[in-house]
Amino acid sequence: MLSTKNIISIDDLSIDDINLIMENADSFYEVLGREFKKVPTLRGKTIINLFFESSTRTRTSFEIAAKRLSADMINFSASTSSLKKGESIIDTLKTIQSMMIDLLIMRHSDSGVMNFIAGNIDVPLINAGDGKHQHPTQALLDLYTIKKSFKDFKGLKVAIAGDILNSRVARSDIKLFKRMGMDVTIVSAPMLLPENLEYFDSNYVYDIDKIIEDIDILYMLRMQFERQDRKYYPSIKEYNRFLSLNMERLKKMKRGSLIMHAGPVIRGIEISENVMNYAENYSGFKINTQVTNGVAVRMALIYLMLGST
Amino acid sequence: MIGSDNILIKSGTVFESSSGKEIVSDILIQNGIIRAIEKNINVEGISKDLVVLNCQNYFVFPGFVDMHVHLREPGNEEEEDIGSGSRAAVRGGITSIACMPNTNPPVDREYLVNYILSKSRLIDFKIYPVAAMSKNLEGKKMTEIGLLKEAGAIAFSDDGKCIQDSKLMYEIMKYASHFDLPLILHEEDYSFSNYGLAHEGYYSAKLGLDGISPFAEELMISRDIMLAKMAGAKIHITHVSSKGSITLIKRAKEAGIKITCDVTPHHLYFNDSFLESYDTNLKVNPPIRSEEDRKALVSAISEGIIDAIASDHAPHFEAEKNTTFKDAANGTIGLETLFKASYTKLVREEKIKLSKLVALLTTGPAKILNIKAPAIKVGNKADIAIIDLEKNKKIKKEDFCSKSKNSAFIGQNLYSEVVYTINNGRLEFINKSC
Amino acid sequence: MKEKASILNENDIERILKRISHEIIERNKGSKNLVFIGIQKRGVPLAVRIAKNIEELEKNDLKIGRLDITFYRDDVASKIKPVIEITDIPFEIDGKDIILVDDVLFTGRTIRASLDAIIDFGRPKTIQLVVLVDRGHRELPIRADYVGKNIPTARDEFVEVRLKEIDEIDMVTICQAE
Repeated sequence: MLSTKNIISIDDLSIDDINLIMENADSFYEVLGREFKKVPTLRGKTIINLFFESSTRTRTSFEIAAKRLSADMINFSASTSSLKKGESIIDTLKTIQSMMIDLLIMRHSDSGVMNFIAGNIDVPLINAGDGKHQHPTQALLDLYTIKKSFKDFKGLKVAIAGDILNSRVARSDIKLFKRMGMDVTIVSAPMLLPENLEYFDSNYVYDIDKIIEDIDILYMLRMQFERQDRKYYPSIKEYNRFLSLNMERLKKMKRGSLIMHAGPVIRGIEISENVMNYAENYSGFKINTQVTNGVAVRMALIYLMLGST
Repeated sequence: MIGSDNILIKSGTVFESSSGKEIVSDILIQNGIIRAIEKNINVEGISKDLVVLNCQNYFVFPGFVDMHVHLREPGNEEEEDIGSGSRAAVRGGITSIACMPNTNPPVDREYLVNYILSKSRLIDFKIYPVAAMSKNLEGKKMTEIGLLKEAGAIAFSDDGKCIQDSKLMYEIMKYASHFDLPLILHEEDYSFSNYGLAHEGYYSAKLGLDGISPFAEELMISRDIMLAKMAGAKIHITHVSSKGSITLIKRAKEAGIKITCDVTPHHLYFNDSFLESYDTNLKVNPPIRSEEDRKALVSAISEGIIDAIASDHAPHFEAEKNTTFKDAANGTIGLETLFKASYTKLVREEKIKLSKLVALLTTGPAKILNIKAPAIKVGNKADIAIIDLEKNKKIKKEDFCSKSKNSAFIGQNLYSEVVYTINNGRLEFINKSC
Repeated sequence: MKEKASILNENDIERILKRISHEIIERNKGSKNLVFIGIQKRGVPLAVRIAKNIEELEKNDLKIGRLDITFYRDDVASKIKPVIEITDIPFEIDGKDIILVDDVLFTGRTIRASLDAIIDFGRPKTIQLVVLVDRGHRELPIRADYVGKNIPTARDEFVEVRLKEIDEIDMVTICQAE
């Protein structure tokens, strides 16, 4: 039903695919609201959740999605695997493939690893995040979250703030948002950006105050100061001044605008403690909604992928 | 036939080294020595074991010189050894190579130079050892440059690594200048290449690969030009990859600094858009750069800024390449595709003269290394590559005879095929598919 | 598809639904404990029409839900549906008499899936099945409680139900695959 066997990059999906996923997600969302939250749709299908990089949200989200559809989901994380014994990644995958599985969901810390894997095995593959490259299901759930708040994607003003250089979420989201006709502005700093910004084809500002009043969506990226390759950013104080969301900025945002984040939020860096505490009262604060939507979108995606085999 | 040193090359298009002219001629080789280059040589009465090679549709070139090869011996013989590397060379029409010192242990002492030379004599193939500039390639202490030269080292290099300590580099240059040997420099400022996996540009941004700025190379070239000027040293910048580097080298040459440089076929052939497949065989250091850089390298060849083309033949066994892009080792093999890839790109596509290419593969590197260039001349020992320039073939992994198969050119359609190679007077290679 | 015969027109359908509405009231001795579930897509407007009829007769308000059975099909992999319709059952079904409505009863597999789906929502007292057309060829032991019209068909024929709410016309025809 989808035009692609594997979902490695958001670009693997056609506009028709994206619309199909969006249209189906509502029906799966309804299942999540039931008292008995399980349907027998994918009985007898086996899905492997193969995570070479720690993750709670994404791994759990896929697991719940699969289980709500009655598929058998097996979690396989690198620490419990034989990879530590020097088995190559490709041997591990061949072993898993030999278990006659129907779908492989994988996360890994190296960019491009999915392209390498897809060339070596036959099982359909969903990229649950590869290094700094792509995180297509995050982009789909983000789009679904936006869809539920706005009539039309066209012309929506989105600001994506923070560490673009190291973000797979940014790579997938910006591409998808642009494809759906949104107007994207990057809010960042040179050391948090690739030298060449052509690929993103977006506006760029260094100070969040320059755009905060105009945007429909503020998407905050996670900023991990402890990472070695981020040593060039001066300080949290500097970050708070130019790139963070605080109460003052929240008040300047348009009515009906959204605040999004792929999570987990580092309080006091991307979003101030105050805003986080106030978030419950603000309907535009979508960080938890994104998580719920993530399950629905992943259910739709798994259904469409296994249905097409 | 293999091993014969009495050969008649019949009606080949001979590439005469002295004049650079192409003439259809026969070449008679007796006891390994070129005896005659004439039309229709009369072979009546010449010994019965004369091997006649019918070369009507082939070009006859002097054997090529590859001045940048990693033979992996001693230490990593599962990837390549001196014997297998030489066979791969001969298959590529190459009859002389300079081998880099980053073996295990690195070639930083006399006995290691002797080891390589004795092996070279044993297999009767011209291998010129390049010795390390710093002990154990650590960039901390100078090697015994004088003693290493006396042992037979032809040049010095820490290839694969770059000495970050500028003062040490300066001292090496001053001392090496006494011995008049070139320093082959792999230029890389680590602060600009740390974590880097690909040329920093559009594709690194798209593919989420940490970038390697051209500054990594250009800053060190700038430094070494300054130092070489003061030290009076002869420096050779190897595998130049960026447009900026070309500008720097051009200016330095104009200023009279003793600087030369080479480029690799893969930097001339590919640009970073090829990385979209995350093909680990394209992971090399310096990285494959942008189309703009690639074009600058090609123009630099036309302008005469480039002195040699060298393969940077870097064998790696399967597991080091059959992994993620980040985990994969740097390097591509290149001996067997040195001519093919250069010829396809430069002569066929970019319309550079064949004579120019041949010079960059023969006299160019020989001059840098101060060795005698193989030449097709009466009285010379025969080092000859006979090539069918019209053949066009898709490169396949199985086709390589190097121990390692990590070629960036797998899947590419390349022109030309080496049909025969005569090495040190003997017919050493016959391409059965021709 | 080639249209072979027109079976029911607008007036026929209206008469049938009136009759079924009366039968439902009669069998259930009123309509107090009834709730309606229409199977997506054309079971939904039929359920709405029947419920309206009964509301007029009984002067009360009836609850109507919508059910898409895709999640419960036994042939998901081979017959994936492009877009799954919404399932919306905004009321408790425990202890209720459910009037389940679909347009055509054929193999019985859709009804089997519907029963499974409904059970996931609770424990009704009864489930009673209404179909506009029963065309035979059952593959499961399922029968309808209220049948609009029995139409004997060949296996390769196809019963096409069109309803105003979706198709702008009320009509039932038999078609033949070409």
